[in-house]
Amino acid sequence: MVLSVIVAFLLYSVLGKISLSLLHLFNFFSLVVIYFAIEKGEIYGACLGAFCGLIQDSFSISVFGVAGIAKTIMGFLAGYFSGKINVTPLKRSFFFILILNCVELLIWAGLYSFIFSVRVNTGGGLLFFQPLLTASLGATVFYQLRKKKNLILD
Amino acid sequence: MFFFWKKRINFIVLLSLVLFQLILISVQVPMGEEDNYFKRIVFSIFSPLQHGVVSFFRGIGGFWENYVGLVHVHKENESLKEEVFFLRQRMNLLQSVLKIYKTEKDISDLFFELQKSVLPARVIGMDASNVWKSLVINKGSLDGVKKNMVVLDKHGHLVGRIVDPISFKETRVQMITDTESGVSVVPLGKGVPGVLIGEGNGKCRLEFILSTDAVIAEGDRLVTAGFDGIYFPGIEVGRVTSVVEKEGLFKTVQAEPTFKIQDIDLLAIITVDTKEFF
Repeated sequence: MVLSVIVAFLLYSVLGKISLSLLHLFNFFSLVVIYFAIEKGEIYGACLGAFCGLIQDSFSISVFGVAGIAKTIMGFLAGYFSGKINVTPLKRSFFFILILNCVELLIWAGLYSFIFSVRVNTGGGLLFFQPLLTASLGATVFYQLRKKKNLILD
Repeated sequence: MFFFWKKRINFIVLLSLVLFQLILISVQVPMGEEDNYFKRIVFSIFSPLQHGVVSFFRGIGGFWENYVGLVHVHKENESLKEEVFFLRQRMNLLQSVLKIYKTEKDISDLFFELQKSVLPARVIGMDASNVWKSLVINKGSLDGVKKNMVVLDKHGHLVGRIVDPISFKETRVQMITDTESGVSVVPLGKGVPGVLIGEGNGKCRLEFILSTDAVIAEGDRLVTAGFDGIYFPGIEVGRVTSVVEKEGLFKTVQAEPTFKIQDIDLLAIITVDTKEFF
């Protein structure tokens, strides 16, 4: 888990330096939260969401807790619903991450607009593609990870 | 009773976490410009990590460019770039000073001080919530960085000012495009001061320009006026992109910053107290 958070942190720092657009397109911290929420349940997801949100907020001069709340709720929902439905197949995993990422983005944008009384910067519309690209990347990575895990278990 | 709580423990944890963060938000919001120790602590923990990561990858990139590429040409180019950077910053400062200090003696007395006033810094991170809001640089209190110091790009255009939190080797810069930024500006060669406010999307608006002021026009270059007590006068800030007449006391004036976000890898912090000169 710690390694995944570090990887997300590394990717966030490095990709931001490569191109600013990439910061709008991918949300690596969300993928870490969703993965561990699916694996370990809603409490774990909510706590990890709060922690990762705090890290994400530290990249900003905005108020601490905005990304935190969004990720906490997303982590909880990921853990809760993955306990009720099977989200391991590739397609289902894609839609699951897509919906969770949309929910997170909506909560974050709502809180951000409410607190700062400004419209969220969408990076020329790139932010709208974030759920789609994050879900594509997440579904692929989760699928590969599960495949490897199953191979090791076999 | 125990069973009741056990069944709902998950929701209680969720509510507690959300409540904790709501309290955290409510504690921070009214504080405005005041120091926030919680923010400072978290920044102090994560900014060195970010600094390390960026430096590591920059080091790998630098190694590749320096040793695999054209070694001497690249080194010479880097040193010339650095020289141009300092010369450009000094020229901008001196041009601003020359407008105020008229005698040769005044200028020569100040020249030595100004030589030491430029501190180069590299950008190590952008704001996660909005790239037009703030950035993190690799210089901090150990390098003499203080709050409200002026930050320019390598061409001498205004980027923003130093804001809290300032850690030992990392600092945050509030950009002029941030919605909470306000810079006192004046169109070059015209005497109509206004306040340039960021819109959080890479654009700015010029406020408090009276409808009766006919002199401001599209394409006008904006420079700092020095009335805000932070930015010294004469720094190039932006360009007027549109002027709309409307009913009421003030015009709607849109502007764009002169600095280019893709071009702000290297920045210049003006460490001298500019109030002494201007």
